[in-house]
Amino acid sequence: MSYVQINNVEKSYQGRQVLKKIHLSVAKGEFVTLLGPSGCGKTTLLRIIAGLERSDAGSVRVNGKEILAGQHKKGQNIGMVFQSYALFPNMTAYENIAFGLKLKKISPENIRQQVGEIMDVLSISGKENNYPHQMSGGQQQRVALARALVTKPDLLLLDEPLSAVDAKVRESARSLIRDIQRRMGITTIFVTHDQLEAMVMSDRIVVMNSGEIMQHGTPEQIYHKPENRFVANFIGTYNFVPGDWVGLSAYEGEVCIRPEHIQMLKKDQLEQFGDSGSVRLQGLLAHYYILGNTVRAEVVVGDRKILVDRLNGFQGSEFETNEEVGLVIDKDACTMLAPGRGEGN
Amino acid sequence: MKKGILAKIVIILIFAYLFFPIVATLLFSVATKWTTTILPEGYTFSYYQQLFTSPEFIQSLLRTVYVSVITIALSVVLIVPSIYLTIVYYPRLERFFEILSVLPFAMPGVILAIGMIQMYSSGPIRITGTVWILIGSYFVLILPYMYQATKSGFRAINVKALTEAALMLGCGKLETFIKVILPNIIRGVISAALISVSVLFGEFVLANLLVGDNYETLQIYLYKLQKVDGHLANALVASYFLVILLLSLLLIWLAYRNNASAVRDRGKTS
Repeated sequence: MSYVQINNVEKSYQGRQVLKKIHLSVAKGEFVTLLGPSGCGKTTLLRIIAGLERSDAGSVRVNGKEILAGQHKKGQNIGMVFQSYALFPNMTAYENIAFGLKLKKISPENIRQQVGEIMDVLSISGKENNYPHQMSGGQQQRVALARALVTKPDLLLLDEPLSAVDAKVRESARSLIRDIQRRMGITTIFVTHDQLEAMVMSDRIVVMNSGEIMQHGTPEQIYHKPENRFVANFIGTYNFVPGDWVGLSAYEGEVCIRPEHIQMLKKDQLEQFGDSGSVRLQGLLAHYYILGNTVRAEVVVGDRKILVDRLNGFQGSEFETNEEVGLVIDKDACTMLAPGRGEGN
Repeated sequence: MKKGILAKIVIILIFAYLFFPIVATLLFSVATKWTTTILPEGYTFSYYQQLFTSPEFIQSLLRTVYVSVITIALSVVLIVPSIYLTIVYYPRLERFFEILSVLPFAMPGVILAIGMIQMYSSGPIRITGTVWILIGSYFVLILPYMYQATKSGFRAINVKALTEAALMLGCGKLETFIKVILPNIIRGVISAALISVSVLFGEFVLANLLVGDNYETLQIYLYKLQKVDGHLANALVASYFLVILLLSLLLIWLAYRNNASAVRDRGKTS
């Protein structure tokens, strides 16, 4: 029995369909990320789950209760962190966090205790009397998270809460959110356009494009087994090559291979490497540059440019640009894509 | 260096131009006799005493206060929720309100007044010559000020996100407006009200045409007084100037206090 059940949800704005028959179920305690480019419908879907937006058709159930737009007072317990945090500027951090508890008519001692606990967990103790404008972006983010978590919601919704802080804070916030989510066992739906964020944090990723779910699965599945060209293009980097290059002449479509799954060798070493399960290609190393912990090579093979990633070792590179190189591709590393869906993106 | 002197001269000239009539008014209101000399021949506060003990003056002042307070209260009650609702629920109506709020600028007071006299002197709503027509037209008169000042209060916060955040925490819609939105825009509403007070205290055209002697406001009283006694009229103008000055200072202080307290709080915690 799934904890969050989304059935056939549809939504149009001014004749433009932004959500097309969305089906999705989320298990209790699961961390699911809605990932997609802007305008793919992920935020609209989140807002429908939150009951902030009315769907044209279909239903959303959380813990057996149907979510209806604008019915937040009737026992629905969903926490949400907004992209802008939406902290109440006239209230201190403490008052912001206590706001939801006060509405639930909880006794002042209990409120004090629960707010204190959550502030401890998020390490913002001592900031009780600060107003939002007196706190840094990262602190505001924690207060927003504390405010959403303190009521112990059935479901936590996160609408790109990491997009407004700088890279360092974002990195620590990722693991903080993931940590707390695991510890409290809160079912969470997270919206982002950042694939790295999605892969680091999620149990399951739902890739969306133009109002449809393109694929859902674990980060592993999404990365290694893309089901269509959109997902292959959107997540990480892929080389697309004709099927006959890798001895799959019977296969009509293109196959794709991750840059890090291709081995690059000196041309004269090519003969010694690879077995029957792999394919050998020759090409010209056109460009070679550092990405950070990896180094990317652009190799021209025939009329195609093949990207190859290698670890950026301490000894530096033994290759030079405009050098003839050999490539070894393991046939098992090749993914075949069903033609059609998601084409042209 | 030369440029600095030139700028100073210009500023001094502007200030002289602005302050000369005020100073003259002030002097005349305390002068016993001022005919052929540069400065008055003698000084007295008797005009002020006469003015402030005159029942007519007190009456007209109270009338102006009464009509201003009712109009502004009505305006706040109608405009604040309207702006809130358009921002959160009916964003498409915003343009309509925007246009509606500048319409009074396009209508000269005389046209407005004559139109209203024709409209309301017969038919089901016969209110010409009563205070009600004045309140109605004052409402229209201050609409642009009320709308823009209140709107700027709303602009300073993310109304939609704050509302949604409160709703998600289980706050009712009305409760959200009162507990979350109102405290954050109250400063804008206060400045809107203060601007409107100064506009309404100085209003003459509509009051004279629409109600005249039936409801003698401060400005109508001043108009009459001018024909009777220039010194008294000047004493009234000088008092009026002081009141508006205090109002303006209050407005500036309100805007400044916000920043000052923010700075002070920041110093305290970090």
